[in-house]
Amino acid sequence: MPAILIAMALFFGTINPNFWSVTNLGNVARQISVLALISIGQTFAILSAGIDLSVGSLLALVSVVCAQAMLDFGLVAGIVIGVLAGCLVGLINGILIAKAKVPAFIATLGMLVAARGLALTLSGGLPIAGLPHAFMMIGAGYWGPIPIPAVIAAVSFIVAFFVLSRTRFGRYVYAMGSNEEAAVLSGINVAKYKILVYVVSGMFAGIAGVVLTSRVISGQPTLGEVQELYSIAAVVIGGGKITGGVGGIGRTLMGVLILAMLSNGLNLIQVSSYIQNIVVGVIIVLAVYIDLAREQRR
Amino acid sequence: MNKHSVFRTILAGIFALAAFAAAPAKAEPGDEYARPAKPAKQYTIGVALPQLSNPHFVAMLYGFIDEAEKLGVKKVVWFEAGGYQYLDKQLSQIEDLIASKVDAIILVAVNGPGTVGAVESAVAAGIPVINCNVMTDSDKVVTRIRSDDTIIGEKEADFMGPALNGSGKVVMLRGAPGTSWAENRGNAFKKRLAEKFPAVKVIGEQYSQSTPADGLKLMEDFLQTFPQIDGVYDGTDTVAIGAAQAVLASGKKGKIVITTADFQADTEKFIRDGVINMSVVQEPVIIGRWGMRAAINTLEKQTVPKVLWTPLLQVTSANVNNIDMSSVRAPVGWKPPER
Repeated sequence: MPAILIAMALFFGTINPNFWSVTNLGNVARQISVLALISIGQTFAILSAGIDLSVGSLLALVSVVCAQAMLDFGLVAGIVIGVLAGCLVGLINGILIAKAKVPAFIATLGMLVAARGLALTLSGGLPIAGLPHAFMMIGAGYWGPIPIPAVIAAVSFIVAFFVLSRTRFGRYVYAMGSNEEAAVLSGINVAKYKILVYVVSGMFAGIAGVVLTSRVISGQPTLGEVQELYSIAAVVIGGGKITGGVGGIGRTLMGVLILAMLSNGLNLIQVSSYIQNIVVGVIIVLAVYIDLAREQRR
Repeated sequence: MNKHSVFRTILAGIFALAAFAAAPAKAEPGDEYARPAKPAKQYTIGVALPQLSNPHFVAMLYGFIDEAEKLGVKKVVWFEAGGYQYLDKQLSQIEDLIASKVDAIILVAVNGPGTVGAVESAVAAGIPVINCNVMTDSDKVVTRIRSDDTIIGEKEADFMGPALNGSGKVVMLRGAPGTSWAENRGNAFKKRLAEKFPAVKVIGEQYSQSTPADGLKLMEDFLQTFPQIDGVYDGTDTVAIGAAQAVLASGKKGKIVITTADFQADTEKFIRDGVINMSVVQEPVIIGRWGMRAAINTLEKQTVPKVLWTPLLQVTSANVNNIDMSSVRAPVGWKPPER
């Protein structure tokens, strides 16, 4: 995968030297951050042999809640309530999946539809404008040369990396995904950790929703359409196994980078957005095929 | 057709003729915005559009590109977001235009408040932004080249009121939420009705994405909800085409007055067939030409007015044959060039 990434970067850079400009690298970093954040949550869900289809709609719901709370209670409260809204939806997903035993695909599919409906209901379908200008810092600001959204995504990646590789919770996520029965038999409280997985996914969607709200400096009920599918694509392109147990934060990062670089690079070398869709589709299937072929050779 | 509706249809026709006679083909034209001299430098201009699935924007893109050729522009780098719901996509496209170092950006915004940050990034990078047709809320743009959406809404009300003989029940298909046109046209329509035709009541209104499928579904649901609907306001013809199909299918053609804005091929057909009664038509090719002229004038350090009002036509079955298509649609068979 890293080889593909480098080859892509060289290719785009040769055709349009602006690809390597500081402005554009900042661009890629900023454009990547929302997908990166929801893909982190998706990694937890898929590793545990589940899936979270609700994250795209959740971006819209968080955006609306965050914007309205910000207008009513101020900037910091808006951000906090936005992230909490994400966690709360994750908690509901988790309880439905772990306690009510609704399959993850169905529970989060239901949430995908319902969260979008709730976002539209709360906002009346209209954007919520008039947010404080200072809030734009999160989406448009810089920390040195690095865009703030990228900083948030990078910190999240590091934290998630440690959680998955160095904590008990992380090991349990892998254990549940590899063999849930074995996990139960070895005394892991699977229900509890499953719920936690979806709270984590909801939380990252919450953070992503706040970042996106800042980027568009308004609450938008139509944000994030089909983003859940791109987050799944990022996980599997990186080499995560869709049935769980195999994968990790580093691989997901690779998948996110490939997707973001593709879309930005193809825009810069002026390939039509229709052809871009074809390319992305082919790459998703190809990446998984290569992985499978390699596994069989072993 | 019962007696009442015959009377209504005739009345609608009379008022249409009267409106046509009173207002010449170009109703509220701004002054012509003339083509500047061809500049010495060959510029690269970025264009960001909401959606090419609406022929209105295909015509506008034709205007941008044809005018660019006449002004010796090196390249027009254009993007479409794929629909008003893909705000995040348009933002990325604007950022990619900034990174590509285009000389100027012409923006047709998918969303008013949502595009403020991206416009400010462009301006901060030294790239002037020309705002065409659908407005961003940012005040950093060089100029706004726009139709007066208030007039469009008022004209629909001024047609609807008399066509319903001063009283009736109307539903509104407002169009895409968060866009300047859906807001301003819809609000102006309601305000004008309340002022001039208080007995014409708005009994239902909804936003939807700007596609015929969304308009069809919305109108079918309205027809189920309300046993009597006398008039339909549409914010744009992409939804009106769907509404017209729903009215046709319900067998209520001629009993429901439909007004809308713009003039794609299906709209023309429905006006000829008497399903859609009136449309306030923008001239997207002209909007495109003016946008490109304003971009060049800005780059050549010429003064550009803060607002340029683009012309509007009012089309009914009475004058449908007299429309100058060259300013309304791209030439037949024209396709956007490969980028």
